[in-house]
Amino acid sequence: MVSRRNFMSGAGAVAIGASLVSRAGAAMLPEAVTMTAAATQPPLSPPNGRPYNPVVTLNGWTLPWRMKNGVKEFHLVAEPVLREIAPGMKANLWGYNGQSPGPTIEVVEGDRVRIFVTNKLPEHTSVHWHGQRLPNGMDGVTGLTQPGIQPGKTFVYEFVAKRPGTFMYHPHADEMTQMAMGMMGFWITHPKDPSQHRADRDFCFLLNAYDIDPGSYTPKTSTMLDFNLWTFNSRAFPGIDPMVCSQGDRVRIRVGNLTMTNHPIHLHGHEFVVAGTDGGWTPPASRWPEVTTDIAVGQMRAIEFDATELGDWAFHCHKSHHTMNAMGHEVPTMIGVDQRDVLAKINQLVPDYMAMGETGGAMGEMEMPLPDNTLPMMTGSGPFGGIEMGGMFTTVKVRKGLARNDYKDPGWYRHPAGTVAYEWKGSDASMPAAARAPDAGGMAARPGEKVLKVIKPGSQDKH
Amino acid sequence: MIFTLTTRRAIRAAAVLLPLVLAGCASLSQDGGYSPVQSLVKERSGQDIQWVKSEDDAAGVADTIAPLLAKPLSVDDAVKIALLNNKGLQASYSGLGIAEADLVQAGRVANPSLSFGRLRRGDDIEIDRSLMLPVMSLLTMPFASKIERRRFEQAQLRAAGDALAVADETRHAYFSALAAQETVKYMEQVKVAAEAGAELARKMAAAGNWSKLEQAREQSFHADATVQLARAAQAQVAEREKLTRLLGLWSKQAAFQLPERLPDLPKAPQEIGDIEMQAMQNRLDIMMAKRELSGLAGSLGLTKATRFVNILDVGLMHNNYNQGPSRENGYSIQLEIPLFDWGGARVAKAEALYMEAVNRSAQLAVNARSEVRQAYAAYRSSYEIARHYRDEIVPLKKRISDEQMLRYNGMLIGVFTLLADAREQARSVNGAIEALRDFWIADSALKMAQTGRSSTAADSKPGASIVAAAD
Repeated sequence: MVSRRNFMSGAGAVAIGASLVSRAGAAMLPEAVTMTAAATQPPLSPPNGRPYNPVVTLNGWTLPWRMKNGVKEFHLVAEPVLREIAPGMKANLWGYNGQSPGPTIEVVEGDRVRIFVTNKLPEHTSVHWHGQRLPNGMDGVTGLTQPGIQPGKTFVYEFVAKRPGTFMYHPHADEMTQMAMGMMGFWITHPKDPSQHRADRDFCFLLNAYDIDPGSYTPKTSTMLDFNLWTFNSRAFPGIDPMVCSQGDRVRIRVGNLTMTNHPIHLHGHEFVVAGTDGGWTPPASRWPEVTTDIAVGQMRAIEFDATELGDWAFHCHKSHHTMNAMGHEVPTMIGVDQRDVLAKINQLVPDYMAMGETGGAMGEMEMPLPDNTLPMMTGSGPFGGIEMGGMFTTVKVRKGLARNDYKDPGWYRHPAGTVAYEWKGSDASMPAAARAPDAGGMAARPGEKVLKVIKPGSQDKH
Repeated sequence: MIFTLTTRRAIRAAAVLLPLVLAGCASLSQDGGYSPVQSLVKERSGQDIQWVKSEDDAAGVADTIAPLLAKPLSVDDAVKIALLNNKGLQASYSGLGIAEADLVQAGRVANPSLSFGRLRRGDDIEIDRSLMLPVMSLLTMPFASKIERRRFEQAQLRAAGDALAVADETRHAYFSALAAQETVKYMEQVKVAAEAGAELARKMAAAGNWSKLEQAREQSFHADATVQLARAAQAQVAEREKLTRLLGLWSKQAAFQLPERLPDLPKAPQEIGDIEMQAMQNRLDIMMAKRELSGLAGSLGLTKATRFVNILDVGLMHNNYNQGPSRENGYSIQLEIPLFDWGGARVAKAEALYMEAVNRSAQLAVNARSEVRQAYAAYRSSYEIARHYRDEIVPLKKRISDEQMLRYNGMLIGVFTLLADAREQARSVNGAIEALRDFWIADSALKMAQTGRSSTAADSKPGASIVAAAD
């Protein structure tokens, strides 16, 4: 049962789904390796075939393969899985080989690839190899290029990974349901020449979103835009591992967006360039520096930067509700509403009621019971207290002199003396006066004030 | 009906009829025939009744009910008070006195009268002496007494039935008043929730967080809740006054206290064996019909035997029983000289009358059996409904509220959702109260159907919910 461990040096929980295929088929099919641990697995150095620099899948892993007559053979099993979204919350998802998203498939430009896809779902599926140049019949669109893979059946896809770049795979059958349930995975085609586009650290993950009603476990598959869990590789902060880098490393982060909205992905402390798109590598001359790049629906971006600045740098989607976990969409704003006199009345009926929101949304250290299987809205604490972030948030941790393969969380950054924002302890008199806008108070709109001009807003995206 | 006979013949006639006269003789009883009524009621309700005839009796009743009124009234106490203090019931006991007086009267021969006349015509003086004896009343006395005896027994059964009906009405009114009182309490909670919502909404609007639309919506909940509370309070007064009337209370006594809550649902509903058979044995209306029938059988036999004694027009006691003393019935007895008519038609009429009564009694029995089955079914189903409220609906609403609280903690819902939920929960508790009230009323109606007489409560629908009506 542990015979594949050699593929996964240091891998945590690798088990072989030996019973997944029939005895007769076993001679032909490559073993279907499964993974149950949710932690980031170390990169899989290629044991055979063409050499390449492997990627690190954030809170994920890379699928081992076997070489057969010069063909790289993978075995994907589409199946229901239980994914821990973050400690304290689990989701009934559909995925591949034990996890959602499925394992990353890494191949080298020019490799002939054969993928066996076994369907263990209760309905038909297919796999679309997003972004690849391949024979039309291998494109995985049910009805259009192939019949659906019926439950219990195994299909084989075979093509040559023609161009290097960043790709995804996902079903093109009952997409609304299957994607909402987490059917997706990453695909990387490395360049033939390992020194080309070489990075010291190459992270990858997919953006995904789920609508899991607080207290329940299975995503609502008919939700179109109103998702309440925004995740990297089906994990929400504080369940997302940090991206650990050694100072001076060239770092690449590849992000694919399989949610239904765009995500402005933002890195603190460094500027980066968008080095790769769905179409391939960006010519160096056309790259421009950014600290945020918007990744549209169905798009892939590879960003690159030199991790020059030591510290724990926030890395997140800049849509603030994507860095919250499940929250109510209809919660009234209570800012500035003094609830003291009403509190007694409410407590008569709802004894456990506590007034919240009068001074804003921050809840400090307040701990209150939540529905089952529900992540607190903003959690994760750092060395200075609550980080007040959830969902699509993690950190890039840059440390001096880490070993090449060291991805272990180094803990919180120890700031050199005098490099942390501090409280002003001087007198008010010695504080420089803050500039004020002229009559800012007088200009503000007041409740009940007649609004004379109506400016109609343009089309408003929900996200 | 007084015959005038010559002295000699009168004496002869009197000698013939004397044994009959003595047989029909009756006297007024000590208690006016009340003690059988007391035991009929006691057997069926477990309660004592009293016929207040004197100042002392009235003082005794006042002494009995005063301590009961000093504490929150239990349903048994309420029934006890009503049975002692309800003036309509006292009026019905008086009917018993009238019936007994009639009975005694029927057993007494009118006084004979003696007349003396002296007439002078010229020199002739005629002295006329006559003795008038109430021969006719002597002749009819045995029949009349029998009938009056029956009428008197019927009056006793009727008085007992009236007492049981008052007990049933009192229980009904008691549970309705208590439930209405509890409803007011829960409507007050709903109003508090709405008030808190309206107040918060005002503050939300003042802080600029809410539009006038949203504020108005929340305020309208409050406005509705105010009306609902007023309606509930109105219903409470009406129900309580109904009870007060039945208890015969006024002035300070009318300020009696009711307990906070309705009695709990029994652990299990009563299982009753042969409920129809029991009803046949215990129901007062069935007993009355049986006696009526045996009386009519006697009349028929007599008519057949004599052919010239006509006791036909005896009122059928089971008719219009509910309307109490206003009902008209009675009898007449005729003695005829069988010269031209030998009474064939009369016998036929007596037979027809008898058969009419037989069939009416049979119908009464069929109805009574059906009523008691229906009352038991209503009792069982109202038990199930009340238990379902207690064990399912109320705990479920509570669980929903608890889960909503957790959602509020996670900022998944706002305070207004919590308040709306609190309103819902109060309503479910009120639904439970109404279900419990309906159970106790059905319980009382079942008792009445088993022992008393046709109970309107067996047909009544469970009280319309104020809350449901307001929704």
